[in-house]
Amino acid sequence: MRIIRYTQPTGRTYCAPLARSPWAGLEAEVSRLFAAARSDQVPAETAGRFPLDIYEAAHLTTVRAELPGVERAAISVELAEGTLQIVAKRVHKTGDREETVNLRRSVLVPEGTVQADKVSAAYENGVLTVTLPKCEEAKPKKVTVDVA
Amino acid sequence: MSLFSSQIPAQADKTSVADTGLKIAPRYEIKETPEAFSLQVYLPGVSKDGLDLKVDHAEVRLNARRAWRKPEGWTALHRETSDASYELVFSHQSAFDADTIQAELRDGVLRVTLPKAGAVKPRKIVVA
Repeated sequence: MRIIRYTQPTGRTYCAPLARSPWAGLEAEVSRLFAAARSDQVPAETAGRFPLDIYEAAHLTTVRAELPGVERAAISVELAEGTLQIVAKRVHKTGDREETVNLRRSVLVPEGTVQADKVSAAYENGVLTVTLPKCEEAKPKKVTVDVA
Repeated sequence: MSLFSSQIPAQADKTSVADTGLKIAPRYEIKETPEAFSLQVYLPGVSKDGLDLKVDHAEVRLNARRAWRKPEGWTALHRETSDASYELVFSHQSAFDADTIQAELRDGVLRVTLPKAGAVKPRKIVVA
């Protein structure tokens, strides 16, 4: 059984600065061999991480996390002491065997900027969306100044 | 995309790949049993409508686009994912029984069962 780590897709693969090099083919092959050899090992600092985006709008902040193939019941979202913590478990089944991968990320949320009791989360198409409504004080205010 | 942005992951992510029509290969796993191949593709953000799976005599082609678009007036503070659509192509040698292929998309994971055609299934021959 092998767990294929879900890594963030980047556009990097497609912009090939090496394309002009006569060694491009060889370099690509060497990279591929190294990647294949290392694919079983997950570096400690990235283990259990999953990619997430943070968006801001006038009245809310949204955290979107890519968590494909995770049961809703296995996702927990907690906001405490200025930290939004997303914990999830992904279960890999191979025949009768089961392996669990723990996923965890946290995002700092400055205290007093979010209405903690109105935070909501939804999971759709493998993406978890956490909506953090802003406090009245944190919302952008329009001040009209009369020029005398 | 410039050399500069390609060398720095954060820069590469910020340049919106959605507009340039670039596609990325999703993560996938393939398993083989005596009867079938099973393909599992991780497609976070893809709904059933955005999914296009084609199997012909030579290849299995998967195209998928993300269902979510950033609404007007929202600012991206931090990006780790890409907006690019997914593309995955496998070539095969007429090894599947096209009529019995099954696919299921659930929670951003596509599971496809490709039953082997009768001719390629292992067959035990009894020697008289």
